[in-house]
Amino acid sequence: MESIISVADLRKEFKVFRHHRGVSGAIRNLFTHEHRLVKAVDGVTFAIEPGELIGYLGPNGAGKSTTLKILTGILVPSSGEVRVSGRVPWRERRAHVARIGAVFGQRNTLWWDLPVIESLDLLKHIYRVPADRYQQNLNTFRDLLGLDEFLQTPVRSLSLGQLMRANLAAALLHDPDILFLDEPTIGLDVVAKERIRQFIQQINRQRATTVILTTHDLSEVEKLCERVMIIDHGRLLFDGQLEELRQRFGGERELVVDFAEVYEEVSVEGAEVATREGQRVTYRFSRGAVTASTLIGRLSAKYRILDLSVREPEIEATVRRIYEERLLDK
Amino acid sequence: MFRLYTRLISIRIRSQMQYPLSFLFDTLGSGFGTLSEFIALWAVFTRFGTVGGWTMPEVALLYGLAETSFATMDMVFSGYDPTFFSTQIQRGMFDQMLLRPLSLPVQIFGSEFIVRRLGRIGQGLAVLLLSFFLNPIQWTLVKIILVPIVIVSTIAFFGGLFIVGATICFWTVESLEAINIFTYGGTTMISYPMHIYGDWVRRFFTFVVPAALLTYYPALYFLGKPDPFGMPPVMPFLAPVAGFAVLATAFAFWQVGVRHYQSTGS
Repeated sequence: MESIISVADLRKEFKVFRHHRGVSGAIRNLFTHEHRLVKAVDGVTFAIEPGELIGYLGPNGAGKSTTLKILTGILVPSSGEVRVSGRVPWRERRAHVARIGAVFGQRNTLWWDLPVIESLDLLKHIYRVPADRYQQNLNTFRDLLGLDEFLQTPVRSLSLGQLMRANLAAALLHDPDILFLDEPTIGLDVVAKERIRQFIQQINRQRATTVILTTHDLSEVEKLCERVMIIDHGRLLFDGQLEELRQRFGGERELVVDFAEVYEEVSVEGAEVATREGQRVTYRFSRGAVTASTLIGRLSAKYRILDLSVREPEIEATVRRIYEERLLDK
Repeated sequence: MFRLYTRLISIRIRSQMQYPLSFLFDTLGSGFGTLSEFIALWAVFTRFGTVGGWTMPEVALLYGLAETSFATMDMVFSGYDPTFFSTQIQRGMFDQMLLRPLSLPVQIFGSEFIVRRLGRIGQGLAVLLLSFFLNPIQWTLVKIILVPIVIVSTIAFFGGLFIVGATICFWTVESLEAINIFTYGGTTMISYPMHIYGDWVRRFFTFVVPAALLTYYPALYFLGKPDPFGMPPVMPFLAPVAGFAVLATAFAFWQVGVRHYQSTGS
């Protein structure tokens, strides 16, 4: 299968000018151009197949948004090759953007003074969506995103969650091949987040739309994506299946045990005591070294147990480990 | 394309008309604001009689041409107004425009259309018509046709200055005030007869930034005055050349600016 997006050795450097303060500084700014180079994207290579749903992870300033801006054609890279559906995004801007949808964080793309429905109608004309296709899509999105409750409301009066729903619908009216989402659930409450995640998943499954979403919320990736790319300091630290990430770096699991009484000695072979609070003891053990059931067997042979639970490592902690320990540095 | 443009500006117009009364006062206010400027000009004349040998009605012709053109430009090119456009960049709206499969000029012209400028346009037109009435102009067919040509050319000229100003915002927004001096100061400058300025100023605004070709030379022609600088007799008819050359140059500069923006994303 032909990759829908291919990126080879992508680099983007920014000049950051040093600004001097005060009046004398302002005069110096006019004549000096002191700057340093910031490598926002520093040699990134990847390929994405049609229909994938990819989580693009990284802390703030890691280069996620810069990558997305290049893929959508807003920015021109310093070097490297990019092909999106066979096109170089910034060279054929209009043909390119006609086939993609994009929602950048809390940036609103709709007309502030217009009711949502009129904004969508205007987009129909801008993207030249056939009338019947427009109606079909609108009906689907009204249903999936619950647009009806605010379709007649001016965009400026929408809540943050409604704004995101309206913008998602707007980004998909023209049946784009690829949907770029930059932090799509940032600032939303749990219910709104869940709704948007479900929608993204449905679009990806039912329409086979390729979706790339950046986030620093890892639970989002856990719920949505199979494939994860992690970027930091402009470099890809990881590109693979979520499960693989968990297995390679999420080795540490936790077993929480509530004993029937307070024991002096609670140690057990194959695990270490992480915390201890009265009758509740938390053990930490390595996935490779021992299974949870072996551990439970050993414990229940020695002690009376009321309750227990196994905690999987949060991917958040996993990624933090990758960052902190530089596990993937070559 | 044009239909989308009219759709886009009709959104802007409708939102400004949402409160009709305040819109009306805004419009009248902007008209009276510049009218008071004109009255101040008048006061200068009642004290000194003439400026550079030109009477009040004669200068009113220059003033009327400049005001009508600038105010119309200010309405049509609202989207390129450097002050407005710089906030558009900062709010990420320019990125959004790059994401739409529509030409950038259509989107920028369509992004704003300040209707209350009609007040100032009306005031400029009133002064212009008054000057036609007060000056003993020998009207010919050529002169009648030249009036709208001069206005359209001057609109193109100032539109070019706005576009240059907007383009500079791709690099820096710190020099916004300097840009405004050129656009707003430019109208005031061409409201006076060119020969009152020093030699190098006049040369600069004839040959480099050809502002003098827009209103001064046509005004000499309308009023039947001799050219004090003895330039070729074609000068009064070069307004469209000057206006559209500036506009075309500005668009070329704009292209450079967009490319710069896309490589820096600042």
